[in-house]
Amino acid sequence: MKRKPIVVYGLLVLVIGSLLSGCNQGEKTSEESRSSMIQSVDPEATAVKKGDHDVAEKVKKDVQSVPAIYDVAVIKGKDEILVAYKVKHMQRFHMKKIEGEINKRLEKKYPKENFIVSSDFKIFIEAIELKDRMEDKDYSSKDAEERLKKIIKFKKERT
Amino acid sequence: MAKQKSPEQKRYEKIEQKHEAKRPVVKNCIKAFFVGGSICLVGQAVSYFYMYYFHFTEQTAGNPTVATMIFFAMLLTGFGVYDKIGQFAGAGSAVPITGFGNSVISAAIEHRTEGFVLGVGGNMFKLAGSVILFGVFSAFVVALIKTLLLIWGVI
Repeated sequence: MKRKPIVVYGLLVLVIGSLLSGCNQGEKTSEESRSSMIQSVDPEATAVKKGDHDVAEKVKKDVQSVPAIYDVAVIKGKDEILVAYKVKHMQRFHMKKIEGEINKRLEKKYPKENFIVSSDFKIFIEAIELKDRMEDKDYSSKDAEERLKKIIKFKKERT
Repeated sequence: MAKQKSPEQKRYEKIEQKHEAKRPVVKNCIKAFFVGGSICLVGQAVSYFYMYYFHFTEQTAGNPTVATMIFFAMLLTGFGVYDKIGQFAGAGSAVPITGFGNSVISAAIEHRTEGFVLGVGGNMFKLAGSVILFGVFSAFVVALIKTLLLIWGVI
C-alpha cells in the first residue's frame, strides 16, 4: 500500500509529459479555425491566383444554396477547386446523397473545372487555416498551391 | 427440461413476487442514456482534439480516439472510479468502448495475487477476449460478404 503514491505520480508524469510533448509540436493555429469547432464561421472564398477570386465566390454561392449544409469554404487552386462544408446535424444521415448532389450541381454548372468536394471537418479546418495564411502578404502563391495539394492528398487518404 | 414445480414452490413464488422490489427500468434507461451520452461527448471532444492538433481526418481520427477512451477507462478503473460509474449507470458505462477497457483492467486487478504471468497475463482477457474474438470474426464475415457482393457486381 505504501508504494501506491510513487506509482500514481509516475503515471501522472508520464501522461502529462506525453500530452505536453505531443501538443507542442503542432503548427500555429488561427482563431477562426478554433471557433469553427463550435460555431458557424462562414469563411470567405479565396483563390491562389488573384484573378480567380470571382469564380471561387460564385462557387461558394452555388454550394451554399443546398439547404442541408452550412458553412462553406472554397479555395481555388491552379487545377482544382477545393470545396469543404459542414452538414446540418440531422442531415448527417444523408451525407452520401448530399455529397453527390453538390458534385452534380457543380459539374453541371462548371464543366471545365475540377472539384474536390469534402464534408470532412479536418479538411474544413485546413481550408480555413490556408485561407488565413494566404491573407499574409509574405505567403507566396507557390507555397499556397503546395499546401492545397497536400490537403487534397490528405482528403484521399483512408484509415 | 423444466421440472414440474411442487405446490410449495408455486406458493413460494407467489409470495416472492408480492414482496420483490420492482426493477426501475425506465429510471435505469434514463441514467444509462445520460451517462453513456456523456462518455460519448468526451469521445467526441477527443476526436476533435486529434483532428485539430494532429493530422487526422474525420475518418482516420476514429482509431486513436478509441484507443484514448480505452486508456481513460483503464486509468479510472485502476483508481476505483469506474466501478462507481458502472454501479450508477449500468449499461451506459458498459456499452461504450470504455466498458471494454474496464473489463480488461478489472480482471487484471482481480487476479494480481496469482502472479504476473499466470494471474494477470492469463486472466486479463477473460472477459474482453470474447469481445475481441467475436469482433474480429464478425468483421471477417462482413468483409467476406462485401467482397463477394463486389465480385458479383451487386453493389
